[in-house]
Amino acid sequence: MSSIPWPSRKFKALIPWLTATAKRRVRHWARNRQGDDQPVTELRPGRVYILPTGVGLVFALMAFAMLLGSMNYNNNLSFVLTFMLVGIGLVAMHQCQRNLVGLELRYAGTEPVFAGQSAQFRIAITNNSRNRRNGIRLYTDTTMSEIQDLYPGESRLFVLPVATDRRGLITLRRFGIRTLFPFELFRSWAWLHMDLWGIVYPHPAEQAPEPPPTQTSHGHRQHDARGEEDFAGLRKFHTGDSPRHVAWKAYARSGQLLSKQFAGADTSSQWFDFDAVPADDVEERLSILTRWVTDADRTFEDFGLRVPGAAYPPSHGDTHRRQCLEALALFGLKDPHGKVTRH
Amino acid sequence: MAKSRGTDGSLLSSLPWTLAAGGFALAPHVVFLPVWITVAFAACAAWRYGIEKRRRSLPSGWLRAFLALVGFLGVLGTYSTISGVGPGSALLAIMAALKLLETRRRRDQFVLLFIAIFLIMSSLLREQYIWSLPYLVVGVLLTMTAWLRLSASAVEAPRQSLATSSRLVMYAAPIAIAMWIFFPRIATPFWAVPIDTSRGTSGLSETMSPGDISSLSLSDEVAFRVTFEEVIPAPRERYWRGLVLTLFNGRTWTSNDPFMGPRAHEQVAAIGNPVRYQITLEPTQQIWVFALDMPWSWTLSRTFMGPQQQLARGQPIDQRVAYEAVSYTDYRTEVDLRNYARDWYVSLPDGTNPRAVTLAREMRAAVTSDRAYIEAVLAKFHEEEYFYTLEPPALGSNPVDRFLFDTKQGFCEHYASAFAVLMRAADIPARVVLGYQGGEINPMGGHLIVRQSDAHAWNEVWLPSRGWFRVDPTAAVAPERIDSGIRGAMFDGTGAAWGLAAPSALLHRLTLTWDVINAKWNEWILGYGPDNQNRFMKWLGMDDPDWRKMMLTLVATVAVLTVIISLLLMWRYRPPPKDRAAVLYQRFVNKTGVLPTTGETPIAFARRAGSRSALPVDTIEFVTTSYLDARYGPGDADAMRRLESAVAAL
Repeated sequence: MSSIPWPSRKFKALIPWLTATAKRRVRHWARNRQGDDQPVTELRPGRVYILPTGVGLVFALMAFAMLLGSMNYNNNLSFVLTFMLVGIGLVAMHQCQRNLVGLELRYAGTEPVFAGQSAQFRIAITNNSRNRRNGIRLYTDTTMSEIQDLYPGESRLFVLPVATDRRGLITLRRFGIRTLFPFELFRSWAWLHMDLWGIVYPHPAEQAPEPPPTQTSHGHRQHDARGEEDFAGLRKFHTGDSPRHVAWKAYARSGQLLSKQFAGADTSSQWFDFDAVPADDVEERLSILTRWVTDADRTFEDFGLRVPGAAYPPSHGDTHRRQCLEALALFGLKDPHGKVTRH
Repeated sequence: MAKSRGTDGSLLSSLPWTLAAGGFALAPHVVFLPVWITVAFAACAAWRYGIEKRRRSLPSGWLRAFLALVGFLGVLGTYSTISGVGPGSALLAIMAALKLLETRRRRDQFVLLFIAIFLIMSSLLREQYIWSLPYLVVGVLLTMTAWLRLSASAVEAPRQSLATSSRLVMYAAPIAIAMWIFFPRIATPFWAVPIDTSRGTSGLSETMSPGDISSLSLSDEVAFRVTFEEVIPAPRERYWRGLVLTLFNGRTWTSNDPFMGPRAHEQVAAIGNPVRYQITLEPTQQIWVFALDMPWSWTLSRTFMGPQQQLARGQPIDQRVAYEAVSYTDYRTEVDLRNYARDWYVSLPDGTNPRAVTLAREMRAAVTSDRAYIEAVLAKFHEEEYFYTLEPPALGSNPVDRFLFDTKQGFCEHYASAFAVLMRAADIPARVVLGYQGGEINPMGGHLIVRQSDAHAWNEVWLPSRGWFRVDPTAAVAPERIDSGIRGAMFDGTGAAWGLAAPSALLHRLTLTWDVINAKWNEWILGYGPDNQNRFMKWLGMDDPDWRKMMLTLVATVAVLTVIISLLLMWRYRPPPKDRAAVLYQRFVNKTGVLPTTGETPIAFARRAGSRSALPVDTIEFVTTSYLDARYGPGDADAMRRLESAVAAL
């Protein structure tokens, strides 16, 4: 038996402490009985919980007062009114729970963000039923998604924005789905424990020093680098190719988007080297590197990245950019695939 | 703080519904409430809607506080109290109006909807007509629709909300009905709060001053309805005993008398056959309970027989009550009258109505017995120029003298008063009974309707060895009043003289039909009290019903209904039908013996199944392409046939 920490200092803190403890216990219990969820999970009735809301409690109180009034006056019509409200309450309870049961939640990925932006965890919810689902919302302790209605057979994307403040992996251990439909008398919800994670790039430094000068190698071709001196031919346009290299004349002739290839004496490329960044702090260096990478990517320059333990030769394009930024995001983290919890 | 009071039109989707629900809930109160409250509510509603429509700002806190104070003082000034249904509903209306002015968020409207429900409830406490039931159902529907729109998305169509709330109310109805039937009714209230039920109930006057009011109202309002178990007694025997007046001050008869004691019931000796019947009495705000003369037993709670055999209840009858009673139309009562009581029943105030007193003594001296004297007085009324009229002249002081000797026109009260005075002056104990006489038989419902216009006054006279017995002097003047009711008295020819036309037969028939519906409504819905419930439970087969059994049945029934509703909802949310192609494909998948993984496309599955399944690769490919064509391709009818034959061949 572990000793229960008694909030001795302030008695006032007792109630919040009790509710927090109860909440924690209940969540722990739910977690244990539900286990981990697959990336695609259908809500079974057994895991959809329901409790009355504040409005619901007032409604119940009102119904009770009306019952006493009806009994006092032996008024059969106010009995009708009272029991009608009681019936509506009961029906609302079942309707509220049914509104969630059977929904299918599917993890739809997380867009990488820079530290300071909010990570967008995306969940697609599908309504595999013949009836409409109303007022569905995803939530965590700190954030919630938009409220949306789902028509029969419809699938909709719900986005949970989670604030980030440092680079690395962000994981969302638990989120909830809930509804107050139909009358806000009851709140019905379910907890989901999916393996949700996203990458947070370092925050790009606002004031970064000038990037190192472009190196120009003379006389020989570098691997996978396209110089700009001698026109060597055309190839199919790839995303990330500079618009300056598009063969617009060829495009006007053939309607096919082609890029000019150059093979020449001069191939320019930039190397961003972790060790060469003029800063002391590791995070500061990463931040500066992030700035250089994003700037270079924006101007369609080829760049390479060298961090201790890994090197990415000069290139361009979305994949290259992502690889570099991921390397910066996860640099030095002991266990990048362990769960760095923040939610 | 103008910013926090600003509106952005976001309530436009829910506010009209909230206003409609509030207005609907207030509607039945309008006739009871002072006009300024209705006007204030309507004005606030329009004001608030205008603010939202034009994105204006809400009134300032100071203005709202000022209006709240004015409203509260207004209610206090109008009613000089704040308890009771009248002031209560007035306050609710004012609260709703003021709450509107500070409603900024959608959720603030919850308060308004709660108030709307309370307003509906208080209107039901006041009146329970047949239309009150549809009224309350519509009221609940409107309120719940408004409620739904508070949390629905702003683009949701009102029709959709109405459909959803109608569906939910419909689901709730069986639960409500079951609870209504089985919820145990109790006989006595916990506490009594006055309800200003009526727009002026016309009950019986508790005193009688013939000559003061010069006309009798001919109100058609129902006083009570009677269902007889066997035969309906003849009109001559239908005297519905109410209260008894024993003290006369020269002008006014009152019931102030010194007699006490619960032994009045023992003074009655029944003769002949009992008459059994059930009465549904409309609220009178008086304590008097009516029964056929002479009541022998009755089932109404807290009701006792007074010293003059009048029935009275411990509290005013402020709502409709139903009771069974047994009466004997032939009876003896108080054969031995004590001397002090005898003195009381012959007392007359000195110096009033001297001519009547003199006349009585002369007439008594002219005959040999009290009985002969009574006959002589009745004969005088019958043979001399006395008229029965509902609009007699006013009588001034010494009304009995003026009536007997000068005007000679009057209705039952005049004759009863004069008769009692003549008896007392001749030293014969006499008193006045107020109640109803006659009643109309509704041939459709088989019951008797007794209306306010059937109110009647008659006398009881005491003779040694005979006790008290009924004498109706009005019968001597206008026998048709007794035989065919007041309507008969007016409409069998003589009515034309009073400028009244007989109602058309069709209209009368419709009135009677409506009365049957009303009677059933009163009996089965409004009168569903402890007694009716007990009877109904027994009819359902519950032996020896008590509240425990009823509560148990209630819980069980509601549980069953809830399960049914739950199943119904599950059915509503069932998955959409799989189309024929999907069903066939599923059959094929089962045949392959390979489990598809989540999110696997048919082509990927076919590739995987091709290497693992016992089925030939060609077949798998054929079925897969046929399925894809049937489901997604353009020539689906043809592909469907191929799929069907291929799956059948498996």
